[in-house]
Amino acid sequence: MTEKLGMDSQLAEKTNADRPKPAARAVLPMRHLAIRYGFLTLLFGLIVFFSLATRGFTSPQAAVFILQSVSITGILALGVTATLVVGGFDLSIGSIATSSMMAAAYVMVVLEQNALVAVLACLAIGALVGLINGLIICYMRVPDLLATLGMMFLLIGLQRIPTEGRSIAAGMTMPDGSTAEGTFSPAFLALGRHRFDFFIQNLVPASVVVLIVLAVLIWFFLEYTRFGRMMYAVGSNARAAEFAGAPVKAYKIWAYVISGVFASIGGILLAARLGRGDIASGNNLLLDAVAAALIGFAVLGAAKPNAFGTAIGALFVGVLLQGLTMMNVPYYTQDFVKGAVLVIALVFTFALLGRTR
Amino acid sequence: MRFTRRTVAKMAAGLLGASMLMPVGASAQDMPAPFDNPGDVEIALVRYLSTGDFFQAYLSGVEAQAKALGVNLRVLDSRQDAALQADMVDQAIALGVDGIIIQHGLTESMKEAAQRAVDAGIKVVAFDVNVENEAIPQIEQSDRDLARLALEQAIKDNGEEWKAGYVYVAGIAPLDRRNETWLQFKEKYPGIEEVAQFGTLDNPIANSVANQARSVVTANPDIQVMFAPYDEFAKGVKIAVDEAGLTDSIKIYSADVSTADISAMREPGSAWVATAATNPAVVGEVSVRALAMLLAGEDPGQSVIVPPTLITQDVLNEGDIKNMDELAAKLPQFAHADVAVPDWMPLPPRD
Repeated sequence: MTEKLGMDSQLAEKTNADRPKPAARAVLPMRHLAIRYGFLTLLFGLIVFFSLATRGFTSPQAAVFILQSVSITGILALGVTATLVVGGFDLSIGSIATSSMMAAAYVMVVLEQNALVAVLACLAIGALVGLINGLIICYMRVPDLLATLGMMFLLIGLQRIPTEGRSIAAGMTMPDGSTAEGTFSPAFLALGRHRFDFFIQNLVPASVVVLIVLAVLIWFFLEYTRFGRMMYAVGSNARAAEFAGAPVKAYKIWAYVISGVFASIGGILLAARLGRGDIASGNNLLLDAVAAALIGFAVLGAAKPNAFGTAIGALFVGVLLQGLTMMNVPYYTQDFVKGAVLVIALVFTFALLGRTR
Repeated sequence: MRFTRRTVAKMAAGLLGASMLMPVGASAQDMPAPFDNPGDVEIALVRYLSTGDFFQAYLSGVEAQAKALGVNLRVLDSRQDAALQADMVDQAIALGVDGIIIQHGLTESMKEAAQRAVDAGIKVVAFDVNVENEAIPQIEQSDRDLARLALEQAIKDNGEEWKAGYVYVAGIAPLDRRNETWLQFKEKYPGIEEVAQFGTLDNPIANSVANQARSVVTANPDIQVMFAPYDEFAKGVKIAVDEAGLTDSIKIYSADVSTADISAMREPGSAWVATAATNPAVVGEVSVRALAMLLAGEDPGQSVIVPPTLITQDVLNEGDIKNMDELAAKLPQFAHADVAVPDWMPLPPRD
């Protein structure tokens, strides 16, 4: 799907440059503006609306917790963006995140290791799963959706095996009847709970800082490095890239490794926030992350996966959901609204952009 | 006699079996038929839900009581597949078990399967699923009592006038029953003002609820009491209250308990002050005992209710209780319920 889209836009760009249509000139600036800044304007409008409609929306604290509410799905979304860029897809990110959460809890509570070991274990799991995904897709020629779907189920099961389906918490009773001696180390919990001073004391949570750092990193990486540009090339036309001498398989595998590592970072933050290892499928994380990445297509009229768009997409969903919650709107309408935003963003991307170019 | 690997294994198995039967041996002749020969009795536990701490503990209770009786237990686990669960009842019928415990499930899919089991002369009890059958006793943890205990504590702590946030998702049977009690309380105490209602079952629940609760406490900083009658909800609310720095002004009341909940309640300055809970292991034991009474020709009653216990932060701190085992040891009413205990009933050993 994304591969086709990438090609379309590239082709469209080419034809556009070759022979600009004079008839479309007059409407173009207006439509161009709408496409380029429509979503950002909508986001701004939403913020203004919620500021007027609710108490306490326009405070630095509110801004921060909106960012915090999207930090985990945002990080996952940035990871999946990398796989979208090479024309793939990663369905396993949600379960990588929950597996990494369980792994962090297991390492600290059961194996009684420190925070560093826990973090490294999680990152290793993320990288390893990403690597396996990439190898299966590139060398076993399994379609990306199917390979990562299989990995998703595998991980949902795997994360429960060490504890026989129990959630992991300090002082838990192990399957053999003994009590786990380890605890979540304070350094690890700080990853989810520490707040940095930023004009106001204790304002910005660590998870938001991680989100912003990762967003800037992946944005710079995809847009401004040779590696990132090559990934786009692989995504828009893998065969052409191969003829041009690019190691296509390596780029694809790297994309899945990035996705896996980002997902595992999301899992680390989740574990640090919850302070326990909760058995969970992570499917909601997956869906929210994918939604953010797809909404990102529409931002700035990019019509392709891009890190900036993904970050804005995640923020958009966060603003909307937190604003609605503050207005006391019940949860089922929130799913509806989320879906509506996604549909509108996709229509925007595919219909409007297709016509103008 | 030559000691081949096989004979050793046989002896080991025999020893193991004998050691398991040993504690029952003495009391077996005192028990009514068919438990005068408990080795011949087989019961089946047909489960709908099995992952999670609650269901693990429930199973351990079932196992403990079955062992105390000396009967054989067969566990059939449908893993949230309603159709498969009905098939499993038929499977149990075909296996010729003497009794069946149906654990959770959907009324629509289980009603007929349960009737088929009754028609086949098998004794059946049901836990937390209404199979609309008079021959089948219902084992219940009383959700209304759970909510009542927690709310009574909230009234005791905060008086009769406060602003409340309420976490609720409609359509989940136990939450609906807890909601009934909340509605009654609001009617009885008009001073309670519900300023916000929210809730979600998005996985991981605590994280999703934390995000919502964060918005709610920002929009309504004057909330004094959060009623979150499900421990995953309470965990989420606690995270949000901690993050918003409102631990001093908000108190959280909930239902259910687990080891993780205990440590969350005992964190210094924790806003989570009380929860009402039934010990799932005890519910498991009661399920087997009720079935055993049926098998022995006694009547446990149409509905067998396991009473809940109120667990406050103070009690946990005073007893230095760190996990479920210590909770059961320090609060005897939590470790044991005097429900479905005729004189002859052997009880699982307690430590």
